[in-house]
Amino acid sequence: MIGSALISGLGLGSMYGLLALGFYVTFAVSSTVNFAQGSSMMLGAVFAYTFSVRLGWPFVPAAAIALLLCALYGLAVEFLAVRPFASRGSNAWLMATVALGIIADNTVLFTFGKEPRGLALPWASTATTVLGVHVSTLQIAIPAVGLALAALLHWFSRVTRHGKAMLAVVQNADAARLMGINVPLAIMAAYAVSTIFAGAAGIMIAPLSTVHSDMGTVFGLKAFAVAILGGITSAWGVMLAGLIFGVVESLITALLGSAYTQILTFTLVIVALALMPHGLFGHAELKKV
Amino acid sequence: MKLALLIVAFAAAIAFTTVANSYYVFIMATLALTAVAGIGLNVLLGLTGQVSFGHVGFYALGAYAVAVLTVAAKWNFWLALPVAALLAGAIGALLALPALRVRGPYLAMVTIAFGFVIENLAVEWRSVTGGQNGIMGVPQPALGAFAFGERGVAIAAIVLAALAAYGFHLLNGSKAGAAMRAVKDTEVAAESIGLDPVRIKTLAFAISAVYAGVAGAFFASLSGFVTPSTFSFSQSILFVLVVIIGGAGSLAGPLVGATIVVLLPEALAALAEYRLLFFGALLLGVLWLAPDGVTGLVARLIARRRKPRFASGGEVTLPPAQRLTLEVRGVGIAFGGVKAASDVSLRAPPGKVTTLIGPNGAGKTTVLNMLSGFYRPDAGSIAIGGREIAGAAAWRIARAGIARTYQTAQLFGSMTVAENLGIAGGGEELLAFVGYRGDVDGRSADLPHVDKRLVEIARALATRPSVLLVDEPAAGLAREDKARLATLLRRIADSGVAVVLVEHDMPVVMGISDTVIVLDAGVVIAAGAPADVQRNPAVRKAYLGEEAARPPEARGPRAAGEPYLAVGKLQAGYGAEPVLKGVDLEVREREVVAVLGANGAGKSTLMRAIAGLLRPVAGGIAFGGEDVARLPAHKIAPRGLALVPEGRQVFPELSVLHNLELGAYTRRSGRKGEIGRDIAAMLERFPRLRERLHQRAGLLSGGEQQMLAVARGLMARPKLLLLDEPSLGLAPIVINDLFAALNRLRAESATILLVDQMAGLALGLADRAYVIDGGRIVASGPANEIATTGALERAYLAIT
Amino acid sequence: MKRLLITLALAAVLPAAAQEPIKIGLVTALSGQSARAGEALTRGLQVAIDEINARGGVRVGNQSGRKLELVRRDDEATLFGGLDSPVALAIVPIANENKLPFMDPWAAGTPITKNGAKDNYVFRVSAVDELVDKAMLQYAQKTFNARNCGMILVNNPWGESNEKGLRAALAEKGVKSAGMEKFEPNDIDVVPQLSRLKSAGADCLFLVGNVGPSSQVVKSLDRMGWMPPIVSHWGPAGGRFTELAGPSAKNVHFVQTYSFFGKQSAVGEKVLKALMAKYPDIKGPGDVTPAVGVANAYDAMMLTALAIQNAGSTDGPKVRDGYYKIDRYDGLIKTYTKPFSPQQHDALNENDYVWAQFIDNQIVPVGVKQ
Repeated sequence: MIGSALISGLGLGSMYGLLALGFYVTFAVSSTVNFAQGSSMMLGAVFAYTFSVRLGWPFVPAAAIALLLCALYGLAVEFLAVRPFASRGSNAWLMATVALGIIADNTVLFTFGKEPRGLALPWASTATTVLGVHVSTLQIAIPAVGLALAALLHWFSRVTRHGKAMLAVVQNADAARLMGINVPLAIMAAYAVSTIFAGAAGIMIAPLSTVHSDMGTVFGLKAFAVAILGGITSAWGVMLAGLIFGVVESLITALLGSAYTQILTFTLVIVALALMPHGLFGHAELKKV
Repeated sequence: MKLALLIVAFAAAIAFTTVANSYYVFIMATLALTAVAGIGLNVLLGLTGQVSFGHVGFYALGAYAVAVLTVAAKWNFWLALPVAALLAGAIGALLALPALRVRGPYLAMVTIAFGFVIENLAVEWRSVTGGQNGIMGVPQPALGAFAFGERGVAIAAIVLAALAAYGFHLLNGSKAGAAMRAVKDTEVAAESIGLDPVRIKTLAFAISAVYAGVAGAFFASLSGFVTPSTFSFSQSILFVLVVIIGGAGSLAGPLVGATIVVLLPEALAALAEYRLLFFGALLLGVLWLAPDGVTGLVARLIARRRKPRFASGGEVTLPPAQRLTLEVRGVGIAFGGVKAASDVSLRAPPGKVTTLIGPNGAGKTTVLNMLSGFYRPDAGSIAIGGREIAGAAAWRIARAGIARTYQTAQLFGSMTVAENLGIAGGGEELLAFVGYRGDVDGRSADLPHVDKRLVEIARALATRPSVLLVDEPAAGLAREDKARLATLLRRIADSGVAVVLVEHDMPVVMGISDTVIVLDAGVVIAAGAPADVQRNPAVRKAYLGEEAARPPEARGPRAAGEPYLAVGKLQAGYGAEPVLKGVDLEVREREVVAVLGANGAGKSTLMRAIAGLLRPVAGGIAFGGEDVARLPAHKIAPRGLALVPEGRQVFPELSVLHNLELGAYTRRSGRKGEIGRDIAAMLERFPRLRERLHQRAGLLSGGEQQMLAVARGLMARPKLLLLDEPSLGLAPIVINDLFAALNRLRAESATILLVDQMAGLALGLADRAYVIDGGRIVASGPANEIATTGALERAYLAIT
Repeated sequence: MKRLLITLALAAVLPAAAQEPIKIGLVTALSGQSARAGEALTRGLQVAIDEINARGGVRVGNQSGRKLELVRRDDEATLFGGLDSPVALAIVPIANENKLPFMDPWAAGTPITKNGAKDNYVFRVSAVDELVDKAMLQYAQKTFNARNCGMILVNNPWGESNEKGLRAALAEKGVKSAGMEKFEPNDIDVVPQLSRLKSAGADCLFLVGNVGPSSQVVKSLDRMGWMPPIVSHWGPAGGRFTELAGPSAKNVHFVQTYSFFGKQSAVGEKVLKALMAKYPDIKGPGDVTPAVGVANAYDAMMLTALAIQNAGSTDGPKVRDGYYKIDRYDGLIKTYTKPFSPQQHDALNENDYVWAQFIDNQIVPVGVKQ
C-alpha cells in the first residue's frame, strides 16, 4: 500500500513540480507569476485534445502546435495582465492574472464544451510491475519528463547564451541591460516558457485525467503552494517541494484516509510558511531601509 | 456630503426592500451581506494593504457558528451572533500570526490554504457541520414574539451594512485606522513613529474577520441552510472582486462593488451563463482603466479644485522634549561575514548636532539602522538616557524617544500632510516650525521633493523625540533649500534635541555640526570639531585617496583622436529636481577622462544617463556620431559602449566564466573560438580570476569582483569603457592592483571615462578631468593641472 | 448565487389565462458535467408534450384541450428540474413555500422528496439514492457473490448521501464493508484511496461519482492492475464514459431506470419512433443518451398531464392532489398503479431498476452485447 502510494505521490508530485517550475521561471526573471497557471495547463490539454482527437492529427504535431499556442497565451498573459501593472510598480498583476484565468476557463467552457473529454494515449496506459507495484508507462514518463525538463531548464540557463542572459536579468536587471540584454524580451520569453511548461503538464495529465475547462484550477493552486514552499527561487527546490508535496498528500490518504488529505496538507502549508516564511528552500533578503 | 449620499442610498434600499417582491428581497439581502463582507475585506485590503484570498473562511465560520448554535443547541439568533463574530475574530487574529510573517504571493498562499482548510473541515467534521449536506432549517431571527421573516432579515442586513459602513468610517478616521493606512504606505516609517506593524495588522485581520463572520451569520439565517459548497475558493475571489471593482480603501467602494457584482448578473439574466466570463473581463478592465476602482474613477471625474489650506504661521517653537543623551559604545554588525561596521562609538548630547560622514559604503546608514532598530547589532551597547535599547524593535526604540528620517523620504503617501503629522501625534504648528508653506490637505505623495523632506522632519518631531536621526536630508535639494534645511536642523538642536546627522554635503555638515565623526570601511577614523576633522590627514586620505599628495607621474603625450562621446546640455534626474543641470563633456578616441566630484554631485547619474539606464534625459548624447539620448541601455551596449557600474554588480549566482561570457553577449557575430580567446586574454590580464573561474561570482572578494566587472565590461570589446567608482569599498592594496590593470589598458590605447571619489588615483590615470558639483561642471582641464586648482578640495571637503 | 437564479425562475407564478397553453417550466444545470442531461430531459418532455398536444391537449375542468408548452424559467404551472441533487435540494423549500409542484425527473438525492415539509410539493420519477444503494448491494451479492465491498465515493453531497444509504443497506443486511474512501472531483490519482480498500480486502467496489470522477477511478484501477467488480450508481451514464475511462469502462455495472435496447414494449417503440422522427441525430437506441433522462422525463410529463387533468386546474395545491389521484398509467418505464400518495412521492422503486454497462459508446443492459 505504501509502495503504490509512494509511486502515486511521486507521479503527482512531479506534475505539481512541473507546473510549479512555470511559476519559478517567471518569478526568477520578473518577480511576478501567472497566478492562474492552472488555466495554462488546461489550455495545453484542451489544445492537444482538439488537434489530436477532433482534427485527427498525429499526436506529436498536435502536441507541438498545442505547446506553441500555449506559448502565445503566455505572451498574452505577460502583455495584458503583467506588464501594465509591473511596469508601474503595482502588484495588481496578481488579480489581473486571476482575471485572465477566469476569462480563459470560461471561454473554453463555452467553446470546447461543458462535457469532460478523454485524451487516450494507448502507449501511456500500458502497465508494468516495478518492485511489486503496478505502474503505468505514463506514471514513469511523467517524473522522467518533469526531471528532464528541470534538467533542460538547468542546462538552458547554465549553458546557452540566452539562458544565461535570463538568469542575469533575475540577479541584476540593470547590469543585464548593460550587457545588451533586452530585459522586456527576456520577461516575455520567461512567460512563454512558463506557459509551455504548464501546457506540457496539461498534455501529460490529460490521459490520466479528463479534459475539461476547470481541470487546472485546484491543480494550479496546489502547484502554487508547491512553488511557494520550494521558495520560488530555485528550480531544484521547486521540483523537490513538488515531490514532497505529492508524496505527503498520497501518504496521508493511504495511511490516514482521504478525509484528512486536504485539511492536513493545507494546514501543513500554513505551518510550514509560518515557520519558514521564505519556503523550505528559499532564503531571506536583507531588509534595506 | 458623501455620508449624506450614503444615508440616502441606505434609506432607499430599505424602502425598496419593504415593498419589493420576494425575489428582490432576496437579492437586496444578498447584496447587503456581500457588502458587509466586502467592507470587512476592505479593512484588510484597503486600509492595511494585505490581500486575502481566503476570506470566505471567516464567512463560513460565522455561518456555521450560527447554524450549529441555533439548530443543534437551539440558541436564540441574537445570542449566537456575537459568538459567531467572536469566533471569526479570534480565528482571524490567529491566522494573522503566520500571515504576518509572509508577504505578497506567500501571503496569498497562506490565506488560500486557510480557506481550503475551513471548507474541508466543514465537509469532514460531520458530527458538527452535517458534512456535505450541511445544516438545514436554520431559523430566522426573532425579537420576542416578532419573527423577522425573509423581508425582515433583508432589512436587518441592510441596516447591518449601514452599520458596517459607519464602523469603517469611524475606524478610518480613528488613530487605529490611520495607523493601518500608515503601515500600508510604508511599514518602515510606521515603525519609526512608534507604531507596531504586527499589532496593527493583527487588529486589521481580526476586525476584517469579524465583519465577514457577522455577514456569514446573517447569511445562514437568511438562506435557512449552510452547505460547504457555498464557501468555495471562488467566493473568496468574489469578495476580492467586490473590493477591487468598487475601490479599495474607500468607504463606498465595497458598497458599489457589491452592487455591481450582485446586481449586474441579475440585470443580464439572459447571459447568466456567461457571468464569470463577464466578471473576469470586468475585473481586468477595472484594473487597467480604474486602478482605484469605480469610486476612485468617479472621485477623479468629479474632483473639484479644492481650496488649499496652509499651516498657520507665526512664531513657533518646538515643544520641549525630554533632554536625553544617546550613548553608543562599540557597536558592530556583519552581513554574511563582511563587517559593515565595527566598534563604532559615539555620543550625541541634547542640543548638539552630531554628524557622521565618510565615503560611500563607509557604513553610515548601517549605523543609523542599528540606532533605530532596523538592524540588530552583533556587539556593543546603545543607550538613551542610560536606558539600553540595542536590538529592540524599531517601534519600541521610536517610543523610547529616537525619531528618524530616511534617505528617500518615507511619507505615508496616500495620506494628507496633516494626517501624516496627526498619526505621529503632532499638530500643524510643527509644519510652520519646519518652514513648510504648502497645502496642509494635499496628498503627501504629490509633494515636491523639498517639501517631502520638511514634512518628514516635522513628522519625526511630532513624536517629541529626544534624539532625531536624519539620513542625508540635503541630497537632491537646491542650494538655497539646503541652506534652509541646515538652519532648521540647527534650530531643532538648539531647542534641546540631540540631532544625529548623516550627510555628504560638506557645506551643510561644516556649517551646523558640533561634532563630526568620520567613518571609513565601517570604522571610526576621526572625530572632533568640524575644522579639525577637515584637516585631518586620515580624512583627506579617505576622501581623496592615497595619491592626493603625489603629483601625477609624467606621461608621454598621446594623440587624441576623433570625439567618441559628446555630451551636451545634459539634464537628468529621478524626481522633479534634476540631478544633472546641463552637463557638457567630451571623450575622444584613445583618451582617459576622469569625472571628479563629491558624493551626490551627480557622477553616477551622469554615467547611468550615458549608458542608457536612466531615461528620459534632456540634452544630447552622441556616441560614435550617433544620437543615443533616446536609446535604452540594451541598444546602446551593442554600439560599443560598456559601463562597469558602481558597486560592481556582477551576477552573483553565476560563475566567473558565465559572467565573462555574458560580457560578450552583444557579440552575436563573435565565433565561439574568438570569445574563448578573449576570455583567456582576460585571465592573463586578471590572473586572480583564473583560480576562481568556476566559482560563483558572489563568493569573490570585493577586489576580485571589481576585476571581474572590468573584465566583463572588456569582453564586449567596447570602443568606450565607462568605469563608475571602481575603487569603492576596496582595500588600498587591492586598489593599487586594480589601477595597475587600468593603467595597462591605458597603455593599450583604450578609451575610458572614469568616475572615482579617489581623486588622486583617478587623476593619476586620466589625461583630462572634469570636476562636477551640484549637477554642473565647475572645472575642467588636463589632469595634472586640475589637481592644483583647488576646485577639487572645494568640491570634496568644502575647504575654501 | 445559485439560489438567486432559482428564485428568478419562480419570480411570480401567474395564473394562466383560459385558452393559453399550460406552461411547463424546466430548469437545467447551466454548466458542469451533467449538462447533457438537460438535453435528454428536454427531449423526453418534448416528445411527451407533442404526443399529448397531438391528441388534443389536456382537459382542464370544463375547458377541453389546453395545449402544453415547454418553457425555460418562466411563469409555470409545474416546474421540472434537470439539476444535480444540491441544486434540486435548494429548490425544494422554495417550491414548497410557493406551493408550486416541482417534478424531479433526474436528481436522485433521497431528501429531495423526503424533505420533511408538511406541505410537500415535490415529486419524482427517477432513481432514489437510498433505493439505488439497496439495489447496488443486492446486485453485488447476487451477481458477483461479493462479501466485502469497499465504497469509493466522490466528495460532494451526492457521494455523502450515498454513503449514508450504502451504510444503511449494509447494516440492514448485516454485511460488513471493506471501508469507505472519498475522492475529489478533480483528483487525478485515486490510487492511494483504492490501495486502502484493496489492502482491507475489498472484493467489490461501490462507486458513486459523476462521469468524469468515475472514469478517474477506473483509470486508477487500471494503473494498479486491480480488477474488482464495480457496481456503480448511474454517474457513468452522464457522458462519454468509454472515451474517458478507456477499455475498462465496460467493467462498470451501473444502475438505470430504462434502456431502449432489447425488446421494447409498445410504449417504448412509440417513443423511440417519435424521438427518431423529431431528432435527426437519433438513429437508434444507442443515440438516446442518457436514456434515463429521456425516459424519466417522458413518464414524468405524462403523469403530470394526468395530474393537471385530475386537478381540473393549474392551481398548485390542486395539481398536487391531482398527482395523488392518478390511478393507473401504462408508461414507458413500467405500468404505474397509484404511483403517488401523500406518503409516497417517488414513482419508481428498487424493482424498477435495470443494470447496464458501456459497450463501445453505448449504454446497454448488462449481458445484452459483449
